[in-house]
Amino acid sequence: MSDARDGLTPAGPLEVGGVHLATPVMAASGTFGFGTEVPLCDRRALGGMVCKGIFLEPRAGAPPPRIVETPSGMLNAIGLQGPGVETVIREYAPLWATWPFPVLVNLNGETVEEYAELAARLDGVAGVSGLEVNISCPNVERGGMLFGQDPDLAAAVTAAVRVRTRLPVWVKLTPAAGDISAVARACEEAGADALCAVNTFVGMALDVRTGQPRLGFRTGGLSGPAIRPLAVYLAHRVAQAVRIPVIGIGGITRPEDALEFLLAGCRAVQVGTATFVDPNAIGRVVEGLRRRSTPDGAPPGHRLRPA
Amino acid sequence: MHDLQAPLVGRRRVARDAFVLGFRAGPIAREVRAGQFVNVLLRPGPLLRRPFSVHRTEGEIVELVLRAVGEGTGRLLELREGDRVGLLGPLGRGFALDPSAGRVTLVSGGLGVAPMPMAARQARAMGLHVCWVHGARTAADLCSEWEGDEICWATEDGSRGVRGTALEAVPEPAGQVLACGPLPMLAALARRWPEAQVAVETVMGCGTGVCLGCAVPLTSGVYTRACTEGPVYRAGAVAWERLPAPAHAGWET
Repeated sequence: MSDARDGLTPAGPLEVGGVHLATPVMAASGTFGFGTEVPLCDRRALGGMVCKGIFLEPRAGAPPPRIVETPSGMLNAIGLQGPGVETVIREYAPLWATWPFPVLVNLNGETVEEYAELAARLDGVAGVSGLEVNISCPNVERGGMLFGQDPDLAAAVTAAVRVRTRLPVWVKLTPAAGDISAVARACEEAGADALCAVNTFVGMALDVRTGQPRLGFRTGGLSGPAIRPLAVYLAHRVAQAVRIPVIGIGGITRPEDALEFLLAGCRAVQVGTATFVDPNAIGRVVEGLRRRSTPDGAPPGHRLRPA
Repeated sequence: MHDLQAPLVGRRRVARDAFVLGFRAGPIAREVRAGQFVNVLLRPGPLLRRPFSVHRTEGEIVELVLRAVGEGTGRLLELREGDRVGLLGPLGRGFALDPSAGRVTLVSGGLGVAPMPMAARQARAMGLHVCWVHGARTAADLCSEWEGDEICWATEDGSRGVRGTALEAVPEPAGQVLACGPLPMLAALARRWPEAQVAVETVMGCGTGVCLGCAVPLTSGVYTRACTEGPVYRAGAVAWERLPAPAHAGWET
């Protein structure tokens, strides 16, 4: 009836890119902390989570204001505030090892070697089920161009991480890529086990009374329902470009939104900004998917016809 | 912490453009302490919740004080009795009253009255003498309600009480100082009473410590979360010059 190639998955457990998810709905990086912060979330619904993005060293973060609401969305410039990898290994991984859902660590770096070093440190750490490589970071060795904007750079990061770990390697793509299909194929060829599409869109909002940017960092990442059609389109393009599984991200709030990404060719999804509004957003999305599932576990019958 | 659908059960004007809204939310009313807040969800409405200090509780009722400054607050003031909002709370770390202080002074500027009635009640229940000093632009902007043992007014135009800010109207000795109000007032208060406890207002996302959007810079160099480590801080610990005022009309779309 329905298998992975349909782009339709049941609401139950599944394996995606080397990671065994409890459901197809995960918590997106930066919206679920290290898994200890979100109250009132039905954790039985959680397919897995990606922790807040980390660097090798602790980061203080960006100056406030850090968030600004925009129509149906929000801009954020948190500046990846957080502990470094040692704290994650020492304080959080032992907790994660006792949890019933997998935790992936979101990796960030300013150079290819920083990503590789992070991957090496996390290899074999109990509680870490996989790595999600955030290639939306500026490359300081290439004048600040985002790693994910260029297929060669994206492949270089992916390959460097791949050879330093036995963990599943997922790569989170940026919508800033000129040709996201080319970046996706480059990551696949470099050894990625799955691709996440997509990260936030860079945006800016100005205060017309002061003439100044409304974010302390000036620009930020746009998320929320405002980006969903853009994200569905890009996730669909990525899913058509590669054979490895794609995890859809971008403005998912309701069960129908998750189904859109599944229909577009994704194997699983991540919910992000919605959790800020409703701590149990993921529980509600999974509950909705279950109600739409047929007795054999698959959502009802339509599939996306080829164009 | 609770996530409730709470009906509006009452509304009254307490200053020229300030209103107290009461919502029935028993579990939150029973748990909340002075200085804590709730994050309010409006549907239909803006994407994110809006944080409000809890003003008072009355049995099952949680009261919030607000002024129309943007889409969220504008919509809240349009609610009719029985309309429901989502209330997430109680959130944050409230005031820590010192039972040995003998005397507590509450300093509020404008809508900084928000956490004070609860603080006054808790302090009096501990046997503390409560002096409330409240300032606003004009007499018409002063909150018409107060609680405690004594009240001092201040207005910028001198139309009631001391001419100047609430800060200038504080009788000494102040004892333990709790404050809430505009950032310049709190920054000035921090220079005079670094040990004062101040409730800080910031732009906020989730309210539960996840999004890191409500960063408050400390003099130690780190950022903390107003929703979790705050919203109440030791006045002398905050790096006031690096904390931007929430641009209400600006940050709401």
